[in-house]
Amino acid sequence: MEVYKILQNYFQQLPIELQLVWVLSAVLGIVALIFIAYLKILRNSLRNKEALKLKYLNNCEGLLLSFLFEEDSKDKLSEKQNEFINTVKNKSNDSFRREVILETLLKLKNEVSGEIESAIQEVYLKSNLKDYAYLKLKSKKWYIIANGIKELTQFKVKEAYPEIKKLIKHPTKEVRKKVQLYLVSLFHFKGLEFLSTLKTELSEWDQIELLEELKYLDNQEIPEITGWLNSKNNSVVMFALKLVKIYNKYEDVNTLIQLLNHKTKKIRLQVIEVLTHLQVLDAKDILKSNFKNYSKEEQIAIFKLLDNIYEPTDEKFILENCNNNNFEIQFLALKMLKSLNEEKFIKILNTKRNLKQHPILNFVQNN
Amino acid sequence: MNEIKNIVLAEDNSTLSLLLKFRLQKEGYKPLIAKDGKEAIELIEGNKPILILTDIMMPFVSGLEVISHVRNKLNLTTPIIVFSAAGQEEMVLKAFNLGATDFMAKPFSPNELIIRIKRLLA
Repeated sequence: MEVYKILQNYFQQLPIELQLVWVLSAVLGIVALIFIAYLKILRNSLRNKEALKLKYLNNCEGLLLSFLFEEDSKDKLSEKQNEFINTVKNKSNDSFRREVILETLLKLKNEVSGEIESAIQEVYLKSNLKDYAYLKLKSKKWYIIANGIKELTQFKVKEAYPEIKKLIKHPTKEVRKKVQLYLVSLFHFKGLEFLSTLKTELSEWDQIELLEELKYLDNQEIPEITGWLNSKNNSVVMFALKLVKIYNKYEDVNTLIQLLNHKTKKIRLQVIEVLTHLQVLDAKDILKSNFKNYSKEEQIAIFKLLDNIYEPTDEKFILENCNNNNFEIQFLALKMLKSLNEEKFIKILNTKRNLKQHPILNFVQNN
Repeated sequence: MNEIKNIVLAEDNSTLSLLLKFRLQKEGYKPLIAKDGKEAIELIEGNKPILILTDIMMPFVSGLEVISHVRNKLNLTTPIIVFSAAGQEEMVLKAFNLGATDFMAKPFSPNELIIRIKRLLA
């Protein structure tokens, strides 16, 4: 009590500013203590949860492997296997355990193929796990829907098509993306039909993901894509152009040539790039005749195309651009001229007395 | 006399590891499981395995480092099969340059793995 009174007197004699500092320090100290206690409880709770998860995971792994290695007749599951499926059914009522079961199944499914993969698929389909995934599709939260679609994609549930197709115009981009991946992953090129009606933008990353998904398919028979090349959605046109390039769709060359007049520069540039890749000779004259109307970037792209397919008939056009004020165009023009008509190239060379002042000419001459 | 046929399996996916362990045991091998490259090296040094199965991407010490250690430090000729995920072609080439014997791209069939092991050890 004595100490308390001494402290109280000391505190009261202090100037008001110092009293405030003391009060503030005390409050902050209490807040810090509460925070530390909260973190400790949170850490313990997370550790306990993790330990419990590990226990379930080990248990689930053991059960799954017993299921996989149980001898069964070709079409019928053994009693033990049915028992395992019933266990999964019962345990999946609890969301925490359900997530653990799904994690175990996916951990193995992503790493193995053949009979084992089919058996894991069977567990998923025969238990009620897919019903929970269907329930996720009806959620009001977009991330739960996206998660449900992802799960049905990973377990290749084709029967979910009618439910998932309805979500193709979902207001959230992430959900739409998962739907697109579901369609392509399970229905391959046929799944790309959504492009015909797509109004929203297909980002560069979405396109990469779709192409990556298509890359690993056994059936590489591509459907008719002319409609997508003529789409009003620029991102669909860009994606279709990538398909033309990757799968060498020569039958679409006429559509590509028409696209050289597209109102979007980015598309025109991509078209020139695809034409370069396909080495379309017919495009050359069209591009040469309109050369001056194109932007610098397009002109460079045209010269890159020409560099792949130039012929003696292009000499006049090349010569006209040997003094182009753009570095890349001038370099490519001189390089082609040297290859087509070395005499003329040397003539240009001789007009420039000091080669050191003309590094492009100097470089082309020595290479 | 029955010879102990130790096989070191280095794989950080516990479920796959357990599956392969069962499968190898069924074929009469004695699998020694490591969940990372560091454990794998310890098992290899202490058990003289007849074969090493290793994933490329593992925590602490990668599969490539395991191969390099086996070939360059321990100077062992033990066959090594590496597992790699799709799209890791460059890693697979590095593994072969370091001395890997064979590789299997994930997802793979455990049955096919067993056939390859038998052929390698025949």
